Amino acid sequence: MRLFITGLNHRTAPVEVRERLAFDHHSLGPALGELVAGSGVLEGVILSTCNRVEVAVTVENGCDPQAAVDEFLSRSRKVPLDQIAPHLYHVQDEEAIRHLFRVAASLDSMLVGEPQILGQLKSAYAAAKAHGAVSGLLELILTRAFGVAKRVRSETGIGESAISVSYAAVELAREIFGSLADKQVMIVGAGKMSELAARHLRRSGATRIFVTNRTHERAREMAAAFEGTLVEYDRFLDTLPEMDIVITSSGAPHYLLNKSQARRIIEASKNRPMFLIDIAVPRNIEPAVNEIDNIFLYDIDDLQRVVEVNVGERRKRAEQAEQIIALEVERMVARLKAREVAPTIVSLQERLEEMRQAELARLRGKLGPLTPQQEEAIESLTRGLIGKIAHGPISELRRQAAQPEGIRFIEAIRKAFRLED
Amino acid sequence: MHEMSVVWLRVAAVLYSLGLIHVLLTVIHRRRERVFRVAMAAFSTGVVVHAVSIVEHSLATSRLAANDFFQSASLCALLIALLFLFLYWRYGYESLAVFVFPLVFILTLIGELGSPMARWGDMRLRDAWLLVHVGLVLIGYAALFLATVTSVLYLVRERQLKAKRPGAAPSRLPPLGTLDKVLWRALSIGFVFITLSVIAGSTWASIEAGTHWIRDPRIVISLLTWALYLVIVFFHLTAGWRGRKAAVMVLALAGCSVITWAAHTGLRSLLAR
Repeated sequence: MRLFITGLNHRTAPVEVRERLAFDHHSLGPALGELVAGSGVLEGVILSTCNRVEVAVTVENGCDPQAAVDEFLSRSRKVPLDQIAPHLYHVQDEEAIRHLFRVAASLDSMLVGEPQILGQLKSAYAAAKAHGAVSGLLELILTRAFGVAKRVRSETGIGESAISVSYAAVELAREIFGSLADKQVMIVGAGKMSELAARHLRRSGATRIFVTNRTHERAREMAAAFEGTLVEYDRFLDTLPEMDIVITSSGAPHYLLNKSQARRIIEASKNRPMFLIDIAVPRNIEPAVNEIDNIFLYDIDDLQRVVEVNVGERRKRAEQAEQIIALEVERMVARLKAREVAPTIVSLQERLEEMRQAELARLRGKLGPLTPQQEEAIESLTRGLIGKIAHGPISELRRQAAQPEGIRFIEAIRKAFRLED
Repeated sequence: MHEMSVVWLRVAAVLYSLGLIHVLLTVIHRRRERVFRVAMAAFSTGVVVHAVSIVEHSLATSRLAANDFFQSASLCALLIALLFLFLYWRYGYESLAVFVFPLVFILTLIGELGSPMARWGDMRLRDAWLLVHVGLVLIGYAALFLATVTSVLYLVRERQLKAKRPGAAPSRLPPLGTLDKVLWRALSIGFVFITLSVIAGSTWASIEAGTHWIRDPRIVISLLTWALYLVIVFFHLTAGWRGRKAAVMVLALAGCSVITWAAHTGLRSLLAR
């Protein structure tokens, strides 16, 4: 039994190719059926995300599925093979296990450490399971891959630091306030980034969101989009003392908030800490506002710097993660070897037969001439004896083969019966 | 001091102590309207009784009762109390109570120390009383120590966030908001225990050794440290003092407390009669 993975990702293929190969929710089921119907294919899983399409199969010994899987991709996605072939990569056995573990642990992702890939892999597995396309080896490796991903995440903390500007803003807010529950957020001006930040903040518990915009119409749209409360543009400064987090991204050509205004606001709020996020260019808040005690002002460049530091940190953690993966692959391979118990069973039987023959030969001189009936009785007695002795170890070997620590048991049997390697 | 006026003064001190309880509750938990109303009523009654005490004494001696340090402290307390009542009546300035209630109580207590008290009936009571003073002050100092460490962490964290390079720090400190919460919680608890220990300590000392110790610089340092503590807690509760400057003030308070501690060694010889 062998494992093969064929696929392409954001590094090997441009989006024009990836989008043509992607499997949607509906086509996945029939495709899985078609995949495992191929000759020699035992199991199959299809992972399709916006950055990668991968097909993993296990096949019978002596079967090379590379051509078959390439063919399957081309046929099922209706793309000529010569158009996708240059972008495809193929890995097998130990390398395939390593690849699967790295993908699950998000080391192969475009944003290393992003958490979505694990969920996507899990649903790919669930789909395959639902269509009866996984049952043995592949299932074993996949479930281990989930465990490895979890271990990498908790031991290296690779996903902890924010590597996008909007998420970095939320992380900073957490570092200032601790919990964001009950914090009030004001969003001044519309924009993609402020929208993202607001969404992240809301997910982190900051549910009281206020919006304002120079044009009333746009402000109303924003209020609906953020599920926020509308504040009139010409009075938003008056509401700032009640706010904890303010995000500005207005197109105003001058400062909306200068230092003396900010000082009055912080006095009015009795020095409650305030986090100001100015992602507008030109900036909406006078930079000197950051000098005021209890106000923390970050502009777009500050956030970008935070992100850069975090990306560097993530790179370091990815190296640790690679070490964990190397270790886990080694373990997995050993475990798979343990599954292959057939040779041990054969040599155990041979060893016992050898012992039987040797003992018979030693005793034959002492017994003297025997009748054919006696000859037969001794033969069946000794055969029955070794059969009974071997029965326990052999059935236990078969059972232990599927267990994680099975290799130890196999080794113990080999030692106990002095079986040569 | 005239005997009856001493009794009145002591009644006033007891009434003022209700105000003190209100403040201590406010400091560790949050303001309760009902407790405040009771405290305010007791305080107002206390002012009347206090005034009676001073007027009676002045009439009895035909001189204004400001002849020595203790009488001056008592008179000062009455004037502060009257000023507060005026501000409260005229402007509803009730948050000042956090500052005024403890101050008036402590000043009245000092004023009352001027008249000799009954000697210890039982030496075991005397020792237990001292133990209470020491126990309270140790708990107070433990809380103050926690507050000091937290304010150092606060200053480091605040610096990181202002310098806009969080995450780059090797150690991951708690969020600023958490540090702030811990800092004020510890400081409030410390204030309550240290206030109680000041009361216990001065009562003990006046019974034990009369009043000559009160002008000793070492005692004055302790009282000034307590006053600084009161100021910090007052401005935190009323003006929302917090952040970097407040953390620095806490460090100053910790410094004063260390000096107070050091000054207290060798006080026993001073208190011997």
